[in-house]
Amino acid sequence: MTKVSDVCLSSCGATVVLATSSDEHYPPENILDGKLETFWTTTGTFPQEFIISFNGSARINKLTVQSYLVRNLKIEKSISKDPISFEKCAEKERRESLNCWILLQRKIYLENSEGQLQTEEFMLSGCQATHLRFIIESSYDHFVSIHRVMADGAMDSMSPTA
Amino acid sequence: MVKLTAKFILAGDATVGKSTLAQLFRSDGAHFQKNYAMTVGVDIIMKTVHIPETSDSVELLIYDSSGKEIFYEIMEKLWEQPSVLCLVYDVSNEQSFNSCAKWLQRVRARTLCSHLPGVLVGNKTDLVGRRTVEQKQAQEWAAQNDLEYFETSAKEMENFEVPFRSLAKSFHHLYQEKVETIHSVV
Repeated sequence: MTKVSDVCLSSCGATVVLATSSDEHYPPENILDGKLETFWTTTGTFPQEFIISFNGSARINKLTVQSYLVRNLKIEKSISKDPISFEKCAEKERRESLNCWILLQRKIYLENSEGQLQTEEFMLSGCQATHLRFIIESSYDHFVSIHRVMADGAMDSMSPTA
Repeated sequence: MVKLTAKFILAGDATVGKSTLAQLFRSDGAHFQKNYAMTVGVDIIMKTVHIPETSDSVELLIYDSSGKEIFYEIMEKLWEQPSVLCLVYDVSNEQSFNSCAKWLQRVRARTLCSHLPGVLVGNKTDLVGRRTVEQKQAQEWAAQNDLEYFETSAKEMENFEVPFRSLAKSFHHLYQEKVETIHSVV
């Protein structure tokens, strides 16, 4: 039996291994605590990014990002073991037309929804990832917040569901 | 404790003293540029400002921008998503004051944010006999355009730090306001 659940939780072993901003009151760990009320803030200028690493390899069906005032969000994935090699491969990917390291690169224009949180869903149809990289390229304000990233999927150590 | 980062656009006509002010601020008053050296494109100067009565700070990335029209196309791209704006004119040069409206419009066009903290700085107040722009006139224009107004003399090292510190403080205030807004939205 395998269960499909949110694998993007610190309780499932997911961690934020990099974040370009950090206010000690609003740390990036808040993205993975499963709560909407806690959040990570960016602290000025763009682009900003954070990388989530899974505890092993995950198969993801759907990603949900809950944020505030984000305009342009780019998501990349890596199946590399080491999150440090992630960036190098991303650079390589630009030169080569297709590369196994990055299977996903999406540029999403989020609608400005001042006064309410944005909930954006990305259907990924079971793609594999050990790390996810989120790049906030632009915004509707000087500062934005990320409240939650949810990944409906399963860890690869379990057999995939039909 | 938080360290914010602000993209600080320093704009205005050529020869009003933008680079001199930026260099004085960077060096805490130790470096006054005696000879004029035209800024080509943009010089970026980094300096961290501590916010009084807090443990917070703001790192200013000062985009000391050329006032020459020939570089405007390059600067326009470098100015994307500004955090704060410092407009400088020369109190003995009326044309440089009149140009401020143009510079203001150009920088504001590069942001989607509803509020861009900004200051207007009248520099070269040491040139008392040659003054052509009155303080009152400049203050009024600044107020109409939602800018704080300061006068400086880079040569006499008067007030040169104030516009920078004021903008750092405004940006820090914006952050605090935004965090409160986010709490209310959740």
